[in-house]
Amino acid sequence: MYFDVKGTQVFATTGGKPFDPAQPVVVFLHGAGGDHTVWNLQSRFFAFRGYSVLAPDLPGHTNSEGAPLVSIEAMADWLNGVFEALDCRDVSLVAHSMGCLVALELGSRCPDRLRSLSLIASGLATPVNDALLSAARDKPEAAIAMMTSWGYGAAGHYSRGPVPGNAMIAGGQMVMRGNSPEALHADLTACNDYANGKQAAPQVKAPVQVIVAGKDRMAPKKATDELAAHLPNASVAVIADSGHMVPQEAPNRCRQLLRDFIFQNNPAGQT
Amino acid sequence: MSRFLNFDTLSLHAGQVVDPEFGARAAPIYQTTSYVFPDTDTASSIFNLERGGHAYTRITNPTVGVLEQRIASLEGGSAAVCTSSGMAATYCAITAILGQGDHIVASTQMYGGNISLMKNTLPRFGITTTFFDPTDPDACRAAMQDNTKLIYGELIGNPGLDILDLEEIAKIGADHHVPFMVDATFNTPYLCRCFDYGANITVHSVTKWMGGHGVAIGGAVVDGGNFDWGATDKYPTITEPYAPFSGINLWEEFGPSAFATRIRAEAMRDIGPSMSPMNAFLLLQGIETLSLRMDKHMANTLELLDYLSNHEQVSWVNHPSLPSHSSFDLAQRYLPKGAGSIVSFGVKGGRNAGKAFIEACELASHLANVGDAKTLIIHPATTTHSRIDAEALAAAGITEDMVRLSVGLEDVADIKADFDTGFRAAKRVAAR
Repeated sequence: MYFDVKGTQVFATTGGKPFDPAQPVVVFLHGAGGDHTVWNLQSRFFAFRGYSVLAPDLPGHTNSEGAPLVSIEAMADWLNGVFEALDCRDVSLVAHSMGCLVALELGSRCPDRLRSLSLIASGLATPVNDALLSAARDKPEAAIAMMTSWGYGAAGHYSRGPVPGNAMIAGGQMVMRGNSPEALHADLTACNDYANGKQAAPQVKAPVQVIVAGKDRMAPKKATDELAAHLPNASVAVIADSGHMVPQEAPNRCRQLLRDFIFQNNPAGQT
Repeated sequence: MSRFLNFDTLSLHAGQVVDPEFGARAAPIYQTTSYVFPDTDTASSIFNLERGGHAYTRITNPTVGVLEQRIASLEGGSAAVCTSSGMAATYCAITAILGQGDHIVASTQMYGGNISLMKNTLPRFGITTTFFDPTDPDACRAAMQDNTKLIYGELIGNPGLDILDLEEIAKIGADHHVPFMVDATFNTPYLCRCFDYGANITVHSVTKWMGGHGVAIGGAVVDGGNFDWGATDKYPTITEPYAPFSGINLWEEFGPSAFATRIRAEAMRDIGPSMSPMNAFLLLQGIETLSLRMDKHMANTLELLDYLSNHEQVSWVNHPSLPSHSSFDLAQRYLPKGAGSIVSFGVKGGRNAGKAFIEACELASHLANVGDAKTLIIHPATTTHSRIDAEALAAAGITEDMVRLSVGLEDVADIKADFDTGFRAAKRVAAR
């Protein structure tokens, strides 16, 4: 569905069910260069089990209008604007990679808005190397290749996903190409510049689950351990054989972890 | 800085998760109609497209799934759906997005089945086609109508072997916001990955070079994931709610694989042209050696082109690798590893001499197929293209003296010796 946030049109998939803010809400926030489709093996599940689902595209990504945002803080403000525009309460926020930094920032600024927080494949910060940053600015195809080469683990590189017929790397690359030309560089710049994770994490009140990918080359275990250590109320789950793109590479295990955590912390009367 | 698996590795490994129970190295043949669900929640999730999984082999099957993911991976597409034949793939791909009142712009140089589908069958369902000369992109542009929803062609045209200018045709599609679908059977992804040049969808008869051994019929549709279905209201089957799946909007939910998902959700369920698990297994064995076979096909083809070009009983030879061919430059550009292993040539003496040549050959098999490991020959005017009218025959560049050769993997000296026998017979007939 499309809606307006501070004068700019935003797109979010609702998982195939109408959005109803009276229900518990699950919001899925994508990572750098991504869009709502990264969540299609999680979002629809919750939408058909009593939750209102929102998987928005950040500004300048796929279907959302506006210039890409260039800081994590601005993205957190924008996400809060999404919540206010749709009167979202009782939110379970699920975030991947860069989205986790946004979630930490939002969780520290508006600690009472969240009922639970699921952080997938992230640390407290996401430093980006110069080669990738400059490629994202000057050679977008090279940057897309780097991102997908490093981001996907064996399931991606060998097209071993559980959805018959799908080859997830090509799909991921198409999503990046479909974003505005500035989006990837803006996202990576925001990641690289964000330095407030250590201060934000301790202020998150909601229960947090940290989902770690055992073969993640972008958010290695050292980084995810540091994240979990700074959160006051966190549990950690490891998906041993997944690369960074957990929602696509290990969708069934990821969905099961989210299901157990969100059903417990933000029940919706589901079966 | 970036590292992806290469073609030969993907040919052997893509799509397969090694069987966790027994460790079978080869992809097992899951010869089953249906699958036991662990619980009702999992069952409903699969039916509702919330998760991947298998419910019924008409829709998906684990062995077929390995083949689909391998083909998608080799093509660089976002998803693939395998079908019972190449024609089934073409039919499913077209009808996934076109319906009553819609229009196709298609090349004249195509397999006779493709031409018949568009000329005879689809019009009964309200889908019409305007054909264009594949050597003239302007003709393609001129044929576009307000209701055109698809541009279709074969990269290596059958049987004239003219090469479609992929980038030019893709630009026409982009200008009109119409997807460009390529029948990539003759090139396979080893010789050309059409998505790299702007095509949006490929279809294959995997019966041919992909399988390569003439033992299994099959087809595939590959979604390039690179067409923005949401930028227009022309494609409601992709962008509007789909009632049978709780009003799902495939474009919103699945993005780059929305088109393939539509085929899976509609064609495989409502029409049912599914590939058998056994055929998928056989085709997987073929794909494991795709690059090796294609290299040998190309080497033998070049040798035979030299042989035929210098043979006194041959009136003409047609192949895009020959500098005399009008598509030579396009072949160098799009098919640098080789322009396929189909060769057409004329036998001096006309129809009867051509017939004598074919009947005298012993090694080359006279049959209606291409892309086998074995060398094949046929007379198109009386076989593969016999059901199309004279006008279409001429438009496709078919003459009565034409022999179509599908170059196999035998020792090329033996193929030449066999052809020597055939040409001696043709010479005797021509001399009468």
